Amino acid sequence: MNENIFEVKGLVKEFQGGVKALNNVDAEVRKGEVLFIVGPSGSGKSTFLRCLNLLETPTSGHIFFKGTDVTDKKNNINKFRQQVGMVFQHFNLFPNLTIHKNITLAPVKTGRLTAKEASDKADMLLKRIGLFDKRDSYPSQLSGGQKQRIAIIRALAMNPDVLLFDEPTSALDPEMVGEVLSLMKELAREGMTMAVVTHEIGFAAEVADRIFFMDHGQIVISGTPDEVIRNPDNPRAKEFFSKVL
Amino acid sequence: MKRFSCFIFLLSALLLCSCGKSDKPKLTMVTEATFPPYEFRTGDKVDGIDPAIIRHIADTLGYELKIQDMSFDSVITAVQSGKADVAASGITVTEDRKKQINFTVPYVTAQQVVIVKDNSPIHTTEDLKKYTIGVQHGTTGDLFVTKNIKEPQRFANGALAVTALVSGKLDAVVIDGEPAQVYLSQQTGLRLLPRPLTSEEYAFAISKKNVKLLEDFNRVLNEMKANGLLDSIIRKYKEQNTETAADLLVEDSKYFWIGVKEAFELNFIKDKRYLYLWRGFLVTLYISFFAVLMGLVIGFVVALIRSTAIQTGRYKIPDFFCRMYLTVIRGTPVVVQLLIIYFVIFGSWDIDKVLVAVIAFGINSGAYVAEIFRAGIMSIDKGQMEAGRSLGLSYFQTMREIVIPQAFKNVLPALGNEFIVLLKETSVSGYIALQDLTKGGDIIRSQTYDAFFPLIAVALIYLAVVIFLSSLMGKLEKRLKENE
Ligand SMILES: Nc1ncnc2c1ncn2[C@@H]1O[C@H](COP(=O)(O)OP(=O)(O)OP(=O)(O)O)[C@@H](O)[C@H]1O
Ligand SMILES: [Mg+2]
Repeated sequence: MNENIFEVKGLVKEFQGGVKALNNVDAEVRKGEVLFIVGPSGSGKSTFLRCLNLLETPTSGHIFFKGTDVTDKKNNINKFRQQVGMVFQHFNLFPNLTIHKNITLAPVKTGRLTAKEASDKADMLLKRIGLFDKRDSYPSQLSGGQKQRIAIIRALAMNPDVLLFDEPTSALDPEMVGEVLSLMKELAREGMTMAVVTHEIGFAAEVADRIFFMDHGQIVISGTPDEVIRNPDNPRAKEFFSKVL
Repeated sequence: MKRFSCFIFLLSALLLCSCGKSDKPKLTMVTEATFPPYEFRTGDKVDGIDPAIIRHIADTLGYELKIQDMSFDSVITAVQSGKADVAASGITVTEDRKKQINFTVPYVTAQQVVIVKDNSPIHTTEDLKKYTIGVQHGTTGDLFVTKNIKEPQRFANGALAVTALVSGKLDAVVIDGEPAQVYLSQQTGLRLLPRPLTSEEYAFAISKKNVKLLEDFNRVLNEMKANGLLDSIIRKYKEQNTETAADLLVEDSKYFWIGVKEAFELNFIKDKRYLYLWRGFLVTLYISFFAVLMGLVIGFVVALIRSTAIQTGRYKIPDFFCRMYLTVIRGTPVVVQLLIIYFVIFGSWDIDKVLVAVIAFGINSGAYVAEIFRAGIMSIDKGQMEAGRSLGLSYFQTMREIVIPQAFKNVLPALGNEFIVLLKETSVSGYIALQDLTKGGDIIRSQTYDAFFPLIAVALIYLAVVIFLSSLMGKLEKRLKENE
């Protein structure tokens, strides 16, 4: 069996105007691992993550999801995305829907779950994160930390094979970062496959199975937190971590 | 659904007049019924010398007669374009008009005369040059004055011109002799210049393509001349007109001295004139309502195509047509669009005018609604679409469930505004002779020669509807705000 959720081969993303955000990236996301992607601003971390679920269309290269080439034009992109959850920096909850509806909308509309199943699942997830009483509230009535935790369970409700996080705590007030990180830790412990872009290097060092350090559109080094953060044998990584730690 | 069928019912009630069933072929006559005694309205019907003559001809030839009231400017176009068979509106025979249509043998010889105030310094036609002259737009008087004297002030009908003369806005009115007599008998303080400006002949206009009908008309007209029927019809209406005019005169002088109450009665109560406003109001509401619906549908589809094209690069070709539609509709006046749709696009179809108006205003409004919707859709944060797509929803699912509901809420005030604009824009429906609210006021004005009350009443009704609509939109916005 293929143990990789994602396999990325020769991925290039060039934006209009000639910015090469990704320059020939090869990588894989292994089943069950917690992968962190770190690096300086503008190094291509978000672009890499967004290419994984094709929110950005790669200029060239291939992305295999569980062995299937999803960059192939014939691949059903919606079906593929149902299996890949994403959590955004700015939450992107749907302000026109209640919290409960935010969570059940996609599972029901995509036919992954029946209305009843989705509703039960949403209630279960809400109870789990202690926000069941917000079930019928609207997103504008929630704090930032609450919003991000809802966004996470909204993605979870689809039963995805992998969760992608793009700086999930960057838009939060410091006192709310903790609640989101501890939920992510919990998911990691349960064996959820996760790929996380973050500037929280300490958190990455603590939770990561593996870390990518990106610079100038390339993965410069990858390995365990020890190999990448504590004793990097790469001058650019060394410089970066000495500044942020 | 119930309300919808209610509107349908209203429409059918409104159009009842055109629903009479008969196997006889139809003969459609067009006229502007503001030219007594040749044509004028009594209640719902158009009556007068022209309708009476044409009715006799139609009966003799075995046609079922249908009379349409429209602006004088348009009657010849209507015959030319095949919208109508005959124009009978006190039309003077001129060389220019002969190029466009055929005239029957003349049935009346008429004069263009000059009305001035009693105390006016104008005594001969030579004096006219220095003064402000009023005419009815598109009449022989208009043509003659423009060509031989000076640029006149053009009014939609003779009654308005006379009203303007009475209130001191004009120094003289050039008008046909017959109606001039009527106005003189109704209004004190006016006199005629001793010599008429021109002498001319009235005839009916028939399309050049319809030579057979022209021959038939001429035959019957000549019969009517020979057996005296023509004279007796003309005499009957002239006498009748002087009588009712005398009637009005009493009312008028009372109105002048006693004021508001009588004026109110004259303009709205007498002869059930309020019905013109009420029916016009229903027509205005009907046109606006369905035009809004149509505009919403068109605008929605166009906005969806446009914003999809802009945001994803798909639908390039439909987008091109949408952009053309927007450019043309927003770049031309709605009146012109209405006239084009009526006379050009549906030129040779016998299509209901209310439907034409709904289509014209719907297409027009669609362009503005499209741009409102598009701005609304594009104002929604890109993250909303991305979140939807990342959950595996399709582009259109995300649009329907997430983006459009938010966009709709954002553009509600702008949409409400567009509906209000549309409601008021329908006031140009009179151009294709629809009796909407504005036209209803015009008809009253042409019968009572009073500008103040009918106009104020019309304005107040529009205002009331707009205030009602605004408060409705306000409530809707508030309801939607609560859901956040
Ligand atoms: N839509 C876009 N159009 C053009 N250029 C873009 C676009 N998105 C990103 N870029 C450019 O691509 C490069 C990589 O951007 P990316 O957002 O992936 O960086 P990042 O590592 O996530 O940075 P940060 O830590 O600031 O979020 C940058 O130079 C950025 O300016
Ligand atoms: Mg980023």
